[in-house]
Parts: sequence; C-alpha cells; structure tokens
Amino acid sequence: MRLADREQDGVIVLEPKGKIMGGPDATLLHDKLHEIIEAGKKKVVIDLSKVDWMNSTGLGILISSYSTLRKSDGELKLANVTEKIQSLLTITKLVTVFDAHDSVEEAISSFK
Amino acid sequence: MDKPVITENRITIPPSLEFLSEVDSFIEGILRSYDTDESTVADIAISVSELVNNAVTHGQKAASDKAIVIEIKSVKDKVIITVSDHGGGFDPDQLDDPLADENLLKEVGRGLFIVKSLMDDVDINVSAQGTAITITKTIK
Repeated sequence: MRLADREQDGVIVLEPKGKIMGGPDATLLHDKLHEIIEAGKKKVVIDLSKVDWMNSTGLGILISSYSTLRKSDGELKLANVTEKIQSLLTITKLVTVFDAHDSVEEAISSFK
Repeated sequence: MDKPVITENRITIPPSLEFLSEVDSFIEGILRSYDTDESTVADIAISVSELVNNAVTHGQKAASDKAIVIEIKSVKDKVIITVSDHGGGFDPDQLDDPLADENLLKEVGRGLFIVKSLMDDVDINVSAQGTAITITKTIK
C-alpha cells in the first residue's frame, strides 16, 4: 500500500492506494492518521477510490481513527467507497457507523 | 526459517505479518491461473489475509517461532485453501459477536466473521499441535 495526503479547504484528505491487509502497510496508515489527530486536525477524509480491498485490520484502523477523532470533537468521513469495501462495511454493520460520500468534494462539503 | 519458501501449491512463512504481501501475491497468482473472476480473487485474498493474521497472532501468543503453511488446490469448480499454524489455538464458540452493539466499535474481533461471510465453507480444526483452517470457495 502507498499513502498520499493533502489538505483541501482545511480538511486533511488521505489517499491510500493498494491493499490494506495488516503488517507494515497497515502500520503506515494507522501512524499517519494518528499523527494528523495529534497535530490537532479535526476534519479528515479518507479517499478509498484506489484501495483494491481491505480486511478486518483495515476496518480496525478506520474504527480507531473514527473513535479517536470523535473524542477530540473531530470527524472522519469516507469518500469513493468501492463496491468490495462497501460490501465489507455492510456485512460487518459498520455501514451504520461511517459517513460515506460519493466524492471527496462532497465529503469536504459535508463538514460545513 | 527466516523467509518464505514456495513449492508448487504451498507457501511456508515465518510467523510474521511482514510476509502477508508475499502470501497474497502467491495466492492471487494461482487463482488467476484458474481463471477466477476478480471479485472472487479479492474475496479469497481477503479471507487468506485474515487467516494468516490470526495464525501469526496465535503463534505470537504461544511464543512459537514455527512456520505457518498455506496450501491451495482446486477441485472441479472449487478452490480449497488450508492455513495451518503451531500456535495455541482458540475456541471458535467463545468469540464475541462482532455485530452486537457493544462490539461494533471494537478494533479487532471480526476477521473470522468476515471469512465465514465471504467463503462457501469454513472448517476449523484446533488440536494440541496447532490450528488448521480450511476454506472452500466456488470459482466462476
């Protein structure tokens, strides 16, 4: 997995690419998200358009970020959830937890 | 052993998550040689990654440095994969329900649930020697 990040309209946008399956790749995403949270950023969008698939480790990272951001009055939103990840969110009922949007722009606008 | 060893239909790895991507490349390569559709390749790859994650965790808990073995074969229109470890094992009946409201925001504990959801059949064999989990999936 590779990971890019940028800031747009005061919102941090993370763009992981590849597969999120655990091990060193998952640590990269986990550490980046928590670095952002510790820097005091409260609005984060994860663009999942280039993620082939993730497993329960990836879902655990999303949950950890969601919970940590909420504790500091922040918010995590998902954008461009692929069919495969949407299916995982549905079978695990996490679809009821995450706020997902069809595009990064829509996700950013939803903070306002 | 300190690195993966591949034979025809088997990959053997040290008990470390460092080798997850090697296992994934091996499994996906074989599945594509069976002309498996991409959605099914992903479902099987996700499931194998869950089982290897679990096997590594079991091995670490048992302080075992013994290898994890992943074997794949096709029988008619089905793919059968077994992941074996030498860890302390677990009781599948004692796992929390990941869909329960009180567990929904837990960061771990839904791997085997996902495997059971994605595969046609999951057979768990826990013994004093370790755990062997066999998954079966019809390929299209």
